[in-house]
Amino acid sequence: MANVQPAVISAGFCEHASKRSDVNMAELVNEAVEDCLNKAGSVEWKDIDYVINGNMPAFEGANMPELWMTDHMAAKNKPLLRVTTGGTTGGSVFVSGYYAVASGLYDMVLAVAFEQQSCGNTTVGLASVALGELSIYPSLGYEATRLRRNMGAGAAIGVASYQAMNYMRRSKATEEDLARVVVQNRRNAAKNWWTHLKMPTITIEDVLDTPYISYPLRFGMVCPASDGACAVLFTTEEKAKQIADVPVYINGVGSYANEPAIIGVDCGGAGQTDPCEQLGAVKSAELAYSQAGISFPNKEIDYAEVYSPFPNQELQWVERVGLFEPNSAPEAYLNGVTALNGEMPVNCSGGVNSTNAIGASAMERPAESALQIMGKAGNQVPKTVHTALGHGWGGAINLISHVVMADEPQRKFK
Amino acid sequence: MPLPEYIKKDYKRTRTMKGSWYLTSYKYKFNLSRIKEYLKGLKNGILLGLKCRSCNTVSFPPRLICGRCLVKPDQWVRLPETASIATGSANYDEEDKKREHPFPVIAVRQDGADTALIHNISDDVDFNSIYIGMPLKVVWAKERNGLYLDIDHYEPIEDPAIELNKKEGSVD
Ligand SMILES: [Zn+2]
Repeated sequence: MANVQPAVISAGFCEHASKRSDVNMAELVNEAVEDCLNKAGSVEWKDIDYVINGNMPAFEGANMPELWMTDHMAAKNKPLLRVTTGGTTGGSVFVSGYYAVASGLYDMVLAVAFEQQSCGNTTVGLASVALGELSIYPSLGYEATRLRRNMGAGAAIGVASYQAMNYMRRSKATEEDLARVVVQNRRNAAKNWWTHLKMPTITIEDVLDTPYISYPLRFGMVCPASDGACAVLFTTEEKAKQIADVPVYINGVGSYANEPAIIGVDCGGAGQTDPCEQLGAVKSAELAYSQAGISFPNKEIDYAEVYSPFPNQELQWVERVGLFEPNSAPEAYLNGVTALNGEMPVNCSGGVNSTNAIGASAMERPAESALQIMGKAGNQVPKTVHTALGHGWGGAINLISHVVMADEPQRKFK
Repeated sequence: MPLPEYIKKDYKRTRTMKGSWYLTSYKYKFNLSRIKEYLKGLKNGILLGLKCRSCNTVSFPPRLICGRCLVKPDQWVRLPETASIATGSANYDEEDKKREHPFPVIAVRQDGADTALIHNISDDVDFNSIYIGMPLKVVWAKERNGLYLDIDHYEPIEDPAIELNKKEGSVD
């Protein structure tokens, strides 16, 4: 185990929108990095001794973007690492920042995750992920129309609709329950400065009035495609105490993947027959909690950010990571438990459902959680947050990252 | 009715250059050693699952490596023609909007197998009548060529569980 206690001292964002036509990728990243350093007190460019960067693999058609934006993120003459793990990229970048400090090799680490979807073509990007696996099907007698219909339903939205089908069957959740999650997220987003879909007046009826895009998910329930970036500054416990008013200690990190749901490898069937089971999330949460000394996450966690582009996932994740009993999340949302002033606020930033710059999304979760502990979040919860979690999902459908942070260091370092 | 407008901000437009990336120019490699045996079975109207000797997991279609045990399964087992729905969704893309019902896509778990595969259900089935665990039966293609779609689709069969529920209901 680590003998250095890593801490987060600052997190920065740029404004997210569907088209940040005023900036390119490097400038977009620069905005988040500047925001991060502005909030970091006495820390300057030259103090950073390691930089980690990540976004989706070539979704903007640019490989090695980290070299393009070296100057824009203060990486010149410094060790630089690129991490890309699909939808979990941001989470993996965050975890890499933790490892870099925990290893004892670096004192001040800048982690940057971004995506400028308006410059790229997400359909081509997703196709590049799936094509290797699907390209064999036509030669085995699959005609194009049927392949498009069957496997088209297997892209991100399709995987989510399979999860929704099984989750709704298990929990008896209704479409109204899903719409309620969307309303909470979009209204929260309206109060947070950097988010994309700010809808302060949206209602459940508005969401249910939109057409289906992939049963049981409607157009109004789906996340947007955003341009955006996020930057986080990691350091050691000693330095954090000198620099930050409220240092946020990273006490547990778990990252598991389970088998891809539904799409089999090399034409094989998928080992996971229930897409909402999500063993990867359960395992990574268990690992992170055990590191952080948390036995009762539903009591000990004060705030949660989970990665939910689609509303059914938010209900599914909060249960799988142990915040609620299985199948009880819809009721909790109905009773306002997860609202800004509730007992267990979830995704008060607006969540991925309101803002999805894919590569950045999974880092924005722990980053927002850290800001909630510091008391500096855009949509700050009224209660004091001591312990918070940030969760990420993605990769070849089921790679999970799970980070637990607190305002007190891990027990064994006290 | 559309969603309410979200609060938008306009950003200045700067120069954009077009580029393209040809995914179809890539080449992908597959190991067909297990698939061939499976397809030969389909041609003869036999459903073959591949069983891991270590954990008894049966994959259908076959998988090259058992992820649980990291061994290469090599024991073929014959599976019945019945199956059940593991999960499902419906496709609402442009072409499918012309249809009366949305196009259902289901993941099927063949009885006796532990894995799921994406397939289709009879065209006349209304998507809303589909449920998880719904029993199905293989409908073979008119002509079997030893290809993936020799199983043309699956059709629903009578669900004994529903009958059982009805009987139990009458006792109450
Ligand atoms: Zn095995």
